[in-house]
Amino acid sequence: MTASGLKRSQRKYIAALLTPAMATILVFTTIPALTTLSYAFFKWEGFQRGGFAGFVNFQRLFEYPFKDQFFMALRHNTLVFIAIMILQTSLGLLIAYALFRMTRGQRFFRTVTFLPVIFSLVVVGYMWQVLLDPYYGPINMLINDLGLESLAKPWLGSTATALPALVFINLWRWVGFPAIIFLAGLNAINQEYLEAARIDGASEGQIFRKIMFPLLAPSMTIISILTFIGAFEWFDLPFVIGGSNGNPAGATDTLALMFYRLSFGSVDSNANEVGVGSALGVLIFIIVGVGAAAGQYFLRKHEVEQ
Amino acid sequence: MKKASRRLRGLVAAAFAVSSVIVPAFSALPANAATELTFWSWRTEDKAFYENQIKIFEAANPGITVKFTPYLNTEYNAIVSTALTAGKGPDIIQMRPYGGMANLSDAGNFMPLTVKDVPALGKLQAGILAGAQGYKDKKQYGYPYAISAMGIFYNPEILQRAGVKALPTNWDQLMIAFKKVKDIGVLPLGNAGGNGPALEQLHATVGPTFYGGTQFFNDVVAGKKTFNDKAYVASLKAVKDLAAYMPAGYEGIDYNTARGLFANEKAAFYIGGNYELGYFRSLNPSLQAGWTPAVAKVTGAAKYVTTWADGAYAINSKTANKAASIKFLNFLASKDFGQALVDEIAFIPTAPFVKITDPVVKAINKGRTTLGTPFLNVVGFRYETPTSSNILQPGFQKLITGAITPEQLAADVQTAVASWYAPQKGKS
Amino acid sequence: MIAVFSSKLFFRAVLIFNAFMVLLPVFFLFNSALRETNSFASNPFALARDPHWENFQQVWSDGEFATYLKNSLLVTGGSLVVILICALGAGFILGRYNFKGNTALFAFILTGMLVPAKLAILPLFIQLKWMNLLDSHIGLILVYSSGALPAAVFIMSGFFRALPSDLDNAARIDGASELQLLRLVLIPLVRPGMAIVAIYSAIPIWNDFFLPLVFLQSPENKTIMQGLTVFFGQYASQWGVLFAGLTLAALPLITLYLVLSEQFIKGLTAGAVKG
Repeated sequence: MTASGLKRSQRKYIAALLTPAMATILVFTTIPALTTLSYAFFKWEGFQRGGFAGFVNFQRLFEYPFKDQFFMALRHNTLVFIAIMILQTSLGLLIAYALFRMTRGQRFFRTVTFLPVIFSLVVVGYMWQVLLDPYYGPINMLINDLGLESLAKPWLGSTATALPALVFINLWRWVGFPAIIFLAGLNAINQEYLEAARIDGASEGQIFRKIMFPLLAPSMTIISILTFIGAFEWFDLPFVIGGSNGNPAGATDTLALMFYRLSFGSVDSNANEVGVGSALGVLIFIIVGVGAAAGQYFLRKHEVEQ
Repeated sequence: MKKASRRLRGLVAAAFAVSSVIVPAFSALPANAATELTFWSWRTEDKAFYENQIKIFEAANPGITVKFTPYLNTEYNAIVSTALTAGKGPDIIQMRPYGGMANLSDAGNFMPLTVKDVPALGKLQAGILAGAQGYKDKKQYGYPYAISAMGIFYNPEILQRAGVKALPTNWDQLMIAFKKVKDIGVLPLGNAGGNGPALEQLHATVGPTFYGGTQFFNDVVAGKKTFNDKAYVASLKAVKDLAAYMPAGYEGIDYNTARGLFANEKAAFYIGGNYELGYFRSLNPSLQAGWTPAVAKVTGAAKYVTTWADGAYAINSKTANKAASIKFLNFLASKDFGQALVDEIAFIPTAPFVKITDPVVKAINKGRTTLGTPFLNVVGFRYETPTSSNILQPGFQKLITGAITPEQLAADVQTAVASWYAPQKGKS
Repeated sequence: MIAVFSSKLFFRAVLIFNAFMVLLPVFFLFNSALRETNSFASNPFALARDPHWENFQQVWSDGEFATYLKNSLLVTGGSLVVILICALGAGFILGRYNFKGNTALFAFILTGMLVPAKLAILPLFIQLKWMNLLDSHIGLILVYSSGALPAAVFIMSGFFRALPSDLDNAARIDGASELQLLRLVLIPLVRPGMAIVAIYSAIPIWNDFFLPLVFLQSPENKTIMQGLTVFFGQYASQWGVLFAGLTLAALPLITLYLVLSEQFIKGLTAGAVKG
């Protein structure tokens, strides 16, 4: 590494090599983000910006008719985060451990595990909509054939089962991701520790609990933070399956869907509310930022060095 | 090996990227004199029809070509808003009726049309013209091309098998007919609850006889009555009562599947708009369907056929091809196009002097001219948010599963409308 | 001993069950693409005994998939070019040079990961309009690149940092300029990192439907996922054709994945482990 006393020619190269990335991010991520922040403080007529509005948009977000939508969407995002955090992470860990222990056919199982992550949400969404169709869908037909008619629910159409069904589809699509990250974490553990423990007579269960699990903390950190961000910015899957209104009857509404509705209007009425939408965007960003930072801080403290 | 292929891919991609700039730049040079008009719509179902009609127009107008692009109904508004705001909208735009695109017309995106440009406008009634006028100013921004009407489609063959001797004329008779169909093991009603707008249309068909038709409409618009009125609540309850005859798992059955059930003769009745007829026939050309106006609440009560100007054609105010666009709009307003509309996709055109030969469409047209009443939500309350539809579409889904009561739903609608509609402000 | 055996069996069962859960829907997808639409009502799971290849033909011609495919290739390929060039430069500097503000710049880039393009969509829309980059693939490429750069720079800087520092000194003693050092010595050594960045960035860009929805207006500019949603409206009840469309859209990435599966998996884990 070069010391901080750099030659002039070196400085030129540093600037030249850094600029493309910095400029791109500045122009297409940072400035738009700051602009969204500023939009929240103005009045809007359609896509025309009006006068300065102070905190009015934030106030309106917590009044009729946006307040109920906001809290319902927030509730959904929170429930989804908890469900995904618990289910996806434990399943991912289970699969990763299974892959780690099973060396026969590992390549095949590894490839299959990660396959769903490659698919586009459009393909995944539509495919599962057909699979879960209450009338023509294979899954309900199978359930009926097995004689369990009462279990053949309209999964994506009932307000009680729509969100869980979406979480299930999300699980199907994403479980390979934590699985592979955990697998990498397991592979990175120094084999000598494991061998030594086995020689000492430790059972596989003890090895997992006392050695592997603590050493997986960095993987856990990354997965937790990414899951948090993903859960609170959840948009693609609910949009493809439930549309921008969170069909059925708002049961699959999320903060990001609400943001979309506020920015672009809905099917029956084009009227949009850019100001309130931007205020919502700011809130989402704050939630995600605080959550990610907190996660980073607290989880890092628990990580153990090998 | 991998390094070389990566390099190569990078070069190829760079070449593509560069050519994607240079090639369009060259094609922008004035080459030929042909004008190309772009035409957007949400009617993906009618693509083949429009393309045929466009061929006819192009043959009669050499030098003008038209490209028709339909979009998914749920994305159409967002796509049109962003395109128009970007200054990249199409020349001809299919407009949503009444308040559906109010904010776009207010923002000056559509070219005001005059009788001089489009003579056909002069032949339309005021109520129809209102379907494509601005909200803040009452300029005419589109040519309303079709009139939609709601009613009850039925399958005569199934009814005969079920022993339904005469068409029901009141609500109780309708319920009896449903039961008879159920008894022979056939689905009574194809309608389902998976799609909010479809439920709203169901209510628009059977509701007016309960809430009092045009008189109630006028009263609510003037602020003399509210949505909490007992009669309106009764109309909401009627929708709930129909749920018992919907297909199993109706909560999750989507619009296309529901329509498909009737089209494929698995359901005896379908309640909705005349625009479904073309779709039914495209799925099952051998379908013999009948149509009857919505039944009266009780024998002797007034019957109504909800009707409204549904959709219009507008011209982009920033179009570069004004003359050609006006020519095409006049074609779309012509008697021949109107004739094709009714002959091929069973729409009721606004163009006068069109001959309707199809018996079903004839019945629908007669129904709407004799028993017409406005579509409450579309005509009266779509100008600002939350629209009554915003509340009713998810609201009906909750209603038919029992999650809310008709009284609660009515109250929610009243709160929504009262929040922006002056004559209703402060009323409950 | 018994416990070990049964647990080995258990884990094998887990893997088999997982494989089944993944492959059955995928099989359904491919199988349905080859079936005739009307046969679905009676038996959704039936094998396509009489493959209807014309479903694919219809998708290709009516669905204008050739255009969409070309556009997706353009946008994804173009984005990869931009991302790699920018990430190589920034990763090199931030990974190998210690100077005031290095950490600050690095943190700045990483916070970019918290801002998805979706939340800044309106300003982006207005900004691109002002830059005359709406309805253009270049505008889309720049937005995608900006979104992918934080992770890309993070990965590349890790790879650069891992290279021994003696290389720099050796090259400088030989009289090489910074650029030559980068080009001739270091870049060849971080090729694995470049492959990882390319794969990791390409997947979400290829699969995205939202940005094209907002930024691309002309039908001839649309990408494949955007085209799919238009396709749905037109072929809503023709399931055979619809599934053929879905299959065609998913096929390019699936093929690439199967061919390069090892790299894909290494790609994810590299970032995780080095983090």
